[in-house]
Amino acid sequence: MCEEAGVPASTLCCEGFVGLAKATSIGLGMPTIPVAVVPGHTNVQSTLELRSNVLETTLRNVIDNLTTQPEAGVFGDEPEDGAMVFEGSFEAVNDHFVEQEWSDGLPIVPPTRARIEAFLAHTDEPPEKVLGVMLPDSRAATIWSVAVNGVMAGCRPEYMPVLVALAEAMADPYYGVEHSGNTPGGETLIIVNGPIVKELGLNYTQGVMRDGFRPNTSIGRFWRLYLRNVAGFLLHKNDKATFGNTWRVVIAENEDCLTKIGWNTVAEDMGMARGANAVTISRHTGGNLSVSLSGDVRRDMLPYLADSVVRQVNWQIMFTVGQGMGTLRPQVLITPILAETFFKAGITKQDLKQYLFDHARMPAREFERILRDWTLKPTWDLVQEVRLGTIPKVFAESDDPNRMVPIVWEPNDYMIAVTGDPMRNSAYVFGHNGILGYPVTHEIRLPKGWKTH
Amino acid sequence: MGTRKTAAKKSPAGETPAPAESDGHYRVYWPRTRRRAALKPLAQRPQSLAGKKIAFLWDYVFRGDEIFGILQKELSDRYPGMTFVNYAEFGNTHGSDEHQVVASLPNKLKELKVDAVISGMGC
Repeated sequence: MCEEAGVPASTLCCEGFVGLAKATSIGLGMPTIPVAVVPGHTNVQSTLELRSNVLETTLRNVIDNLTTQPEAGVFGDEPEDGAMVFEGSFEAVNDHFVEQEWSDGLPIVPPTRARIEAFLAHTDEPPEKVLGVMLPDSRAATIWSVAVNGVMAGCRPEYMPVLVALAEAMADPYYGVEHSGNTPGGETLIIVNGPIVKELGLNYTQGVMRDGFRPNTSIGRFWRLYLRNVAGFLLHKNDKATFGNTWRVVIAENEDCLTKIGWNTVAEDMGMARGANAVTISRHTGGNLSVSLSGDVRRDMLPYLADSVVRQVNWQIMFTVGQGMGTLRPQVLITPILAETFFKAGITKQDLKQYLFDHARMPAREFERILRDWTLKPTWDLVQEVRLGTIPKVFAESDDPNRMVPIVWEPNDYMIAVTGDPMRNSAYVFGHNGILGYPVTHEIRLPKGWKTH
Repeated sequence: MGTRKTAAKKSPAGETPAPAESDGHYRVYWPRTRRRAALKPLAQRPQSLAGKKIAFLWDYVFRGDEIFGILQKELSDRYPGMTFVNYAEFGNTHGSDEHQVVASLPNKLKELKVDAVISGMGC
């Protein structure tokens, strides 16, 4: 942005991020933009070590970057959109796609014209339609490219409307796809709602997060292939996940149960109409099971669930106060039998969100200590932030350091889905990634004359 | 290791034998699309930083504030007349309002008559 405004800039990068800076600069149209290196990683260096590294390396880089005109950049050659790029046997195609970094390493289904056209037949959108342009590669998400990657992932043609909705969601600025290669290496959770769940045969019951059902598994794989091939996240280049993880199997909600107890679906909570087909995406660094919630609902089950929610959040509170400011959206999965048990105890979905807001809390001194000592952020004084009006008053209802403060800004920040084994009494809580994968919901638009088989 | 040939399993008498294994032949299409970003020229660099106004941009992570302090002191000692604009003037380039912060940069840099930018931290 600075260079485009005519102001020379020097970006500071730790040593491990120079490759990422180089890869990202191509997508930004400035492949020769210079970078100043900080040797090693800043956060494991003493003050003296950091000072020495900055004086010996970074300072010289900064001066060179700001006073030496970089060479003009050039782009490498690439095929045209929609080009046929290879022909050969199944094995040869797969080897070529791996060599070109177009594959995730598992065998792909060769994207032939006939297969791509079968996918295109399941959308009313023209192949060249652009759904958005995504960083870091600045490539366009087109209907055609959705179809190609859907074929490769092993999807069936009738999954195409879901894939198109996912590509739109990926390109949604609120989601923040550009952060998908960041340090925490979170993976996207996809939740499908609407009649299409049954029409496509998505698993929404026992083992819902396990691979084994074609739509759940292949649509999840499509997500990662599309991140790779169109957004541009490749490991050792634009994807700097410290550890990373494989893509998540897509889940769906048990809408029979939700209808029975009169609870909203996740998609309804996100603003969609009941009965609409929709995908909801959000990005999480991990999660954990709360096994066997038992006993009395209010005395035993709800306190256990609230405790599980707090235990999934430590450094992530930087998305509540500080870096993200109110963008933490914890995702909780509960089984149908638990949802029905809560319902019988007179608890609505909104009540459950309110309960978690009121009881999934930590002492203010602990909240501040985590921010101050573990996230190294300058924003950690909750009373001061409330005085400045940057966070809600609930974080400083007194100045008692032992007061209990919430981990989100408001009850509706909690996202609750009903899914999994209908006859098991467990829950699952995800660690959300805040602004680095904020939840968004997009409608799945079915083509005229829609039928699945 | 060489290729090992094994005898094909024979079909029961009277049934059509299974076809020989085939790896097929496929014409396949590019899974990417061309980059939409055009090549952009980089800003003209000055010959010296003497007398220039430098702005710091920060994403509020990875000790940028400490590094900026070291750089400001050393650059000031080397180049007479340099002035600096603190990162707080612009906001967090990697926070919940990052899109607005980044979009506002061209006007802000112009208003403040900034000559060059040091931006961090990518770690």
